[in-house]
Amino acid sequence: MTNLKDRPFALVGVHVGGGSAKDLKALMAEHRLPWRSFVDPGDAGAGPIAAKWNLAATPTFYLLDHAGVIRHKWAGPPGAAVLDAAVDRLIATAERDSKPPPPR
Amino acid sequence: MQPATGRALVLVLTLSVLAGEGGSQDAPGTPAEQYRVLRKEYDRVPGGGTLRTDAERLKFVGGVYKHHSAVAQKFLALAEKYPADPVALDALTQAVWQVNTVPWPVELVGDDPARARAFELIRRDHIRSDKLGPLCQRVSYGFAREYEDFLRAAAADSPHQSVRAAATVSLAHFLNNRLQRTDLCREQPELAAEFAGLYGKEYLAGLLRRDRDAAAKEVETLYARAEGVYAGEKLPGGEAVADRAKAALYEVRNLSVGKVAPDIAGEDQDGRRFKLSDYRGKVVLLDFWSHV
Repeated sequence: MTNLKDRPFALVGVHVGGGSAKDLKALMAEHRLPWRSFVDPGDAGAGPIAAKWNLAATPTFYLLDHAGVIRHKWAGPPGAAVLDAAVDRLIATAERDSKPPPPR
Repeated sequence: MQPATGRALVLVLTLSVLAGEGGSQDAPGTPAEQYRVLRKEYDRVPGGGTLRTDAERLKFVGGVYKHHSAVAQKFLALAEKYPADPVALDALTQAVWQVNTVPWPVELVGDDPARARAFELIRRDHIRSDKLGPLCQRVSYGFAREYEDFLRAAAADSPHQSVRAAATVSLAHFLNNRLQRTDLCREQPELAAEFAGLYGKEYLAGLLRRDRDAAAKEVETLYARAEGVYAGEKLPGGEAVADRAKAALYEVRNLSVGKVAPDIAGEDQDGRRFKLSDYRGKVVLLDFWSHV
């Protein structure tokens, strides 16, 4: 998972552990967690994002391709080898298709 | 007193040893009693105590599986001996109650030699029973071919609406679970080898060849049927079929492999608003996490 800087890839978190954006900022600074994360408001695990995504446990990972289609779902950590292989495959496809991203 | 009691005890022990060796005439008691004895044996798992290392824990898990599989054969033998007794279905249910949900590899847990015949008998003699709901739910977490055949039979042939409802929901859950595991086998050859060892090479090869979209569509159709036809029923645990089917349908239609991820709009740790769809054009690893 290194050397992804200039490639079409992003790690996006959804923090479902409860607390405010400010709490999360402090927590992520303390542990030097570099990614961008949604704050799911409300009690731990009881926020609207967790509810909409039928979240059963953390960590849960979804891997989306460059069109936003779900390509993998893992309940629990999949392991570095499996994750890296899946990410590499999808990035290669994204780069092959690399049209400019669709307008928003 | 003391010596006399001692002698009596010795005598009793001797007699019970003889009875044990003497075979059938004094032994068993009613089928129900035999079933109770087997239940105790089933629950008396070997090993345990303090397990310190992963190797010790694995060995314990393997021992429990092998013990249950061995007693399962005795439950099956009991059901074969008394097919018309009410205890037959209980014995068959117990013979297949152990479901390798992880699944642990066959080298660790051994074979499950009672399974095929036990399901054959359940389908032959008991498919009209009103007691099949819990077994339907239990096997929905497994992978074996016999589970699918049993669930399809119960969903189609049970005269009891509640059993058909449980079987339909369980079949959908089983097929969805199997689809996801088959996907993993496609990417991970070691996992595919494990599944082939546990459930048969040909069975796995057949699943890998199957049309994925059609298999996913069947899961959706089954949940939709549960929501429509069996909405008023309850699952054995008390949950309403309608609630379970609705949540499952949402997941199948929106949160499954092959579907466009639902958008998320919210704020990040700096209080800035953003959307998941802002990342279109990039591969995204979406990580639901918490710090506890």
